[in-house]
Amino acid sequence: MTAPSPPLASRTQEPAWVRRTLIGAALAFLGAFLLLPLAVVFAEALKKGLDVYLAAIAEPDALAALRLTLLAAGIAVPLNVAIGLAAAWSLAKFRFRGQNVLLTLIDLPFSVSPVIAGLIYVLLFGLQGWFGPWLKAHDLQVVFAVPGIVLATVFVTFPFVARELIPTMQAQGTEQEEAARVLGASGWQILRRVTLPNVRWALLYGVILCNARAMGEFGAVSVVSGHVRGVTNTLPLHIEILYNEYQSAAAFAVASLLALLALVTLAAKALVERRLERAPPVTDAAPERASSAGAAVAFDRTALAS
Amino acid sequence: MSIEIRHLQKRYGATIVCDDLSLDIRSGELVALLGPSGSGKTTLLRLIAGLEAPDAGSVAFHGEDDAGADPRAQRVGFVFQHYALFAHMTIFENVAFGLRVRPRATRPDEATIRRRVHELLALVQLDWLADRYPHQLSGGQRQRIALARALAVEPGVLLLDEPFGALDAKVRKELRRWLRRLHDEMHVTTVFVTHDQEEAMEVADRVVIMNRGRIEQAGSPDEVYDHPKTPFVLQFLGDVNLFHGRFGHAPGGAIEAGADGAHEEVSYVRPHELQILAAPAADTLPVTLSQVLTVGTQARIEFRRIDDGSYVDVEMPRSEFAALTARSGLGIGSRAWLKARRVTRFSASAAETAVDPAAMI
Repeated sequence: MTAPSPPLASRTQEPAWVRRTLIGAALAFLGAFLLLPLAVVFAEALKKGLDVYLAAIAEPDALAALRLTLLAAGIAVPLNVAIGLAAAWSLAKFRFRGQNVLLTLIDLPFSVSPVIAGLIYVLLFGLQGWFGPWLKAHDLQVVFAVPGIVLATVFVTFPFVARELIPTMQAQGTEQEEAARVLGASGWQILRRVTLPNVRWALLYGVILCNARAMGEFGAVSVVSGHVRGVTNTLPLHIEILYNEYQSAAAFAVASLLALLALVTLAAKALVERRLERAPPVTDAAPERASSAGAAVAFDRTALAS
Repeated sequence: MSIEIRHLQKRYGATIVCDDLSLDIRSGELVALLGPSGSGKTTLLRLIAGLEAPDAGSVAFHGEDDAGADPRAQRVGFVFQHYALFAHMTIFENVAFGLRVRPRATRPDEATIRRRVHELLALVQLDWLADRYPHQLSGGQRQRIALARALAVEPGVLLLDEPFGALDAKVRKELRRWLRRLHDEMHVTTVFVTHDQEEAMEVADRVVIMNRGRIEQAGSPDEVYDHPKTPFVLQFLGDVNLFHGRFGHAPGGAIEAGADGAHEEVSYVRPHELQILAAPAADTLPVTLSQVLTVGTQARIEFRRIDDGSYVDVEMPRSEFAALTARSGLGIGSRAWLKARRVTRFSASAAETAVDPAAMI
């Protein structure tokens, strides 16, 4: 090749039509399986007009479902960050007996079907469950109530943050922490000033994945929810109910709300990425514990603070 | 600040990495811990730094101000082999770190920190890099920043783990000299680990040669080179020819090679301590020339012994060798005789513990 060629062409020897076919196939797949459904959601939601759309969203049950979803995610994500950090730290920075057992345990929620996860909580905290009588005696309700939904969400999302952090922390080793220690930093200072800033990207991705799953979780939550309208329905459950009642416009309207939350998450991620690239981070700031004010907002704040 | 190391023991599982080590390091001294990989030198350094806990024994620091509560928290500066700079901080913040993490009561104010960091950056001649990030720096620059960061806490003891190991030969040489000068200016007690004998000999006041978790010998560079206490030290500090039995005789030759073998001696002669003669004389070894290599200013000449066919290396300045060949017509395959200017002997039982240094580097 004598003429200067674009980097893509110079990297491979494949003929142009092969490259175009492959790229085209990938784009077509992406369009058919990602973009089209998203477009359909909004199209279906607005089919009967903006009024029906707004009414479906403004309906008290829908708003309650939205609140519950944000609450569950708002509790699950910070919990995940805290527990995931602790687990990843102990697995990556120390050698101890039973390390592999812990690693397998962290993966457990991935390998167990969400429905089973939900059932476990029913069997544990339900009226006929192990702790049922005790809970009843103390007038506490876990299953078919908000605590059950939060518990199920926490269980299902458990591996996300830890799974993202472990490889990153392992790759970084312990040298920087040791350097900080020799320089006189305390354990807390090491965590805040050295370890956390170094894993901020992995943490951010873990939080994004965790948040997406927390808001979209259906199976486990469905089992423990009891489907009490306006009380224990999350957005995905609410959508199912509406759909089963042939209120497809309303179902899609609420679905668009959920899709919108996902898009906000994506946008926040892109924004954070760009900001972090443009201005190098302040050394002192470390991610703060996300508040439960709202999952998407909470994740955003966590990331920005780093 | 002086360091007193007493009966230090450390093992990882079944492997003993530090075997009853005792060593005194005087205040203001520059000491090299020299040994092959796996000899325990890095572990010893980490034990001194408090990064590892010994199984037994103690490390004590004695300084002018002995009253300080936690000697290790502030008084040890450690430079890691791969620098371990904080990747997410600017060079300035890296150097400032040790000051910023101090408890509020002893933490200097922002202006003092700023001044101090710039002083240190000026000291390592990298003031202009303050706003960069570690990944934007070359290896040699990172190494100097790591040193500045370690010095920021005003350590009484500076510890360096293979400080020049990851750098190319030329930069390494410059940094070595620079470290020596820096030490002469600051008089901080300094201990550095290296597997490079040339580096140890060039920089250190005192060289501690380690092997298999033990100290083989400690002394000034000249002392360990000229008077090695063990075959290991001798072999580790440069190339050496090994002769079983007294030099000039075949292995198991007529003299002293008793039937029990225990009395057999092993003679060591360094390549540059052999003289090439064109005619036989007393105490010489008949050889034939087999190969000549020139490395820079030195000629390395490989001879083959006539009696047992093994090889003997001789080293001399290239010009000298050229003069010799011109004078005597020495060429590949020519007969010659070697005479040792200096022979070091250990009894065979001691030599058995010696390891081939070439295989260990």
